[in-house]
Amino acid sequence: MQNAIKISKPKKSIAIVVAVASAFGFASLAAPAKAASPVTISVVLAAPPLPPAMLAEFTKATGITVKWTQLDWDSLQTKIAAAATANTYFADATDVDWSRVGQLGKLNWFLPMEKYLDTKALATDMPQLSSFSKNGHVVGIPYDASFMVTTVNKALFAKAGITKLPTTIDEYTADLKAIKAKKVVQYPLNIPFAAAEGLSTYWYETTGAFGGHILDASGKPLFTDPTSAGYKAAAWMVNAVKTGLVPPGNINVADSQGQQTLMAKGKVATTFSDYSGNVGSLYDVPASSSVVHQVQYLATPGATGPTSNLGNPDGIGIPAKAKNPEAAAKFISWFTDGKNMADFAGANGTARTWVGYFFPSRLSGIAILNKKGSIIGGDVLAGMLKTSAAVFPQGAPAWYPEFSGAVYTNLHAAAAGSMTVDAAIKAIGAVATKLSSGK
Amino acid sequence: MKRKTDFLPYALISPLIIFIVLLALTPAVFTTIAAFFKVQPLNPPTHFSGLENFRDILHNTNVISSLGNTFYYIIIGVTLSTVLGIYFAVILQRRFTGRSILIAVLILPWALPGVVEGILWTGIWDANTGVLNSILKSLHLITHYQVFLGQNKLITILAIEVVQVWQITPLSTILVLAVLQNIPDDLYEAATIDGSDGRKAFRHITLPLIRPGIAIAVVQAIIATLNIFDQPYILNGAASTGNSLAMETYAVSFQNLNFGQGYALSLLITLFTLFVSVVVAKFIYKKVEY
Repeated sequence: MQNAIKISKPKKSIAIVVAVASAFGFASLAAPAKAASPVTISVVLAAPPLPPAMLAEFTKATGITVKWTQLDWDSLQTKIAAAATANTYFADATDVDWSRVGQLGKLNWFLPMEKYLDTKALATDMPQLSSFSKNGHVVGIPYDASFMVTTVNKALFAKAGITKLPTTIDEYTADLKAIKAKKVVQYPLNIPFAAAEGLSTYWYETTGAFGGHILDASGKPLFTDPTSAGYKAAAWMVNAVKTGLVPPGNINVADSQGQQTLMAKGKVATTFSDYSGNVGSLYDVPASSSVVHQVQYLATPGATGPTSNLGNPDGIGIPAKAKNPEAAAKFISWFTDGKNMADFAGANGTARTWVGYFFPSRLSGIAILNKKGSIIGGDVLAGMLKTSAAVFPQGAPAWYPEFSGAVYTNLHAAAAGSMTVDAAIKAIGAVATKLSSGK
Repeated sequence: MKRKTDFLPYALISPLIIFIVLLALTPAVFTTIAAFFKVQPLNPPTHFSGLENFRDILHNTNVISSLGNTFYYIIIGVTLSTVLGIYFAVILQRRFTGRSILIAVLILPWALPGVVEGILWTGIWDANTGVLNSILKSLHLITHYQVFLGQNKLITILAIEVVQVWQITPLSTILVLAVLQNIPDDLYEAATIDGSDGRKAFRHITLPLIRPGIAIAVVQAIIATLNIFDQPYILNGAASTGNSLAMETYAVSFQNLNFGQGYALSLLITLFTLFVSVVVAKFIYKKVEY
């Protein structure tokens, strides 16, 4: 005889109610929640939340409450793409990376910022705003002024007898060889050869130093000829590993990892393509560095003299499916205000300092910081920011992420010795040619 | 006499049915259909493309490279996690002081996210500052720090898979241990009386009777290794020496924004997982009665 579970009538009713409630529970998960009053906006960035005191001030002034969500950068890009493809709400304001501007501009996944802010007026105070424009529209507003810089450990250079810091790439290379020859450190140069975005960025900066660009206005490769800057830059980087200027283990070192475990520990003497702000936020922080006050910024050594630095800024924009675009625009306007950005960078004490933030995207913000003397190397950085150039002057192509994937996998393979520089460049060039031709 | 329909069982299982339909069946059906469409937001419009996505994906050199790598991940991962799982289960079957603590410690890696494990093991495998190099050098086993990841494909895959084995072995252990604890002691006692030693008892009693547990452990290991993503991504980036099928699915879908090909690759992975799981269940799984 089979065992049967008997349930009395009232319990049956409860079970049915629970089941129906569960079903409605799922339905409510799928349906978008109604906006609360006063307005609450969702901000999703690959960064920790702003200081509570600052957010509270914004809420008090505008009546807009900010719900901040932090995600890692890669997951965030995936979520932005997935939500936009599914045509669903994801956030009211979120990350717009410079490298995705072409893609986002073509797909109309973000609202044009010129509709909400006076972007023409902003441009005079924000040198990197041009990196966020595509097809006449501003996709996002840069909220920090990250750009690539060369950093040198002047103590290690001095130990090798180098008193005049290099201004050209040839002088820089000769200094690296001198540091190695005098055994100041075994490997003087940090290049992050892990197959990741940081390697692509390093190559772009080095190509700029050799006096060239990566792509032409139609997206065709400018680096396939052995005399081109891009080719020379790739050869210089790979040769640096083969001649022992770069630690062999760097074939699996990512950009920030190399900065933290090699440069900040004095194991290498220089990083050719470093992040602006690292001196103040990493190398001069005793808890994370053994080279405090030894590292300084260096105007990037170029083919014939110091060259411009490549911009690598982070931006924020409003997704097309945002529920509260007006409120999001108010937040972005406040978030990218020069005075507030100076506060984020530590101009007015720790309660208003945003962890991990290092450099305002507005010249007026930098001026406030410089006046207060609260940014290390501020004068040098401010000068570099004025002349920082976009990686792609014509704007990042829509297919940039696929191109970058080809760059870092092939350059990594060349450094690991599984292919030649020539083969790597040909493979990268083939991808660029194919993508730019729309095939 | 007409039997009255009892809705209660249906009401009770309805949340589960809704859950499965919404989160498993719907995406599966959607993926299957979309795999036959060209879905490229950068190159609209979306249209039916037959087998084109499958043809293109199978001509993608990165996918082919990742297919080979994933094959190695499966072979190494399934073998190691199953053998270690059985070994640990047999040890843990015996009662001894601190057994519960040991089980809790053993389960820890299983509870950790793959990303965290990848970061932890970076500190071990790192060629510049890694713990392993430091130990080997202090023992005078090497003169220079060695590069474990990124140069030699097999060594890279082995190093990455060790991290995943560390993660999935606890589940294999628990699955085998659960079955092991159901084996009556009488069988071992009878075998001892008949002159059987420990090795014979393991071979002729333990191993045949834990086959259901081994089958489930093998299937979960196949699913985990076939979908390996976090560990190679963190430890080796997107390099061809360690890229996996799951990583390529991500790259095709979210980097290249070619969702049609991404769906096609996902569908192939799902079908392969189903096929291998059924084969394993058929050959290893055996209903046992004590």
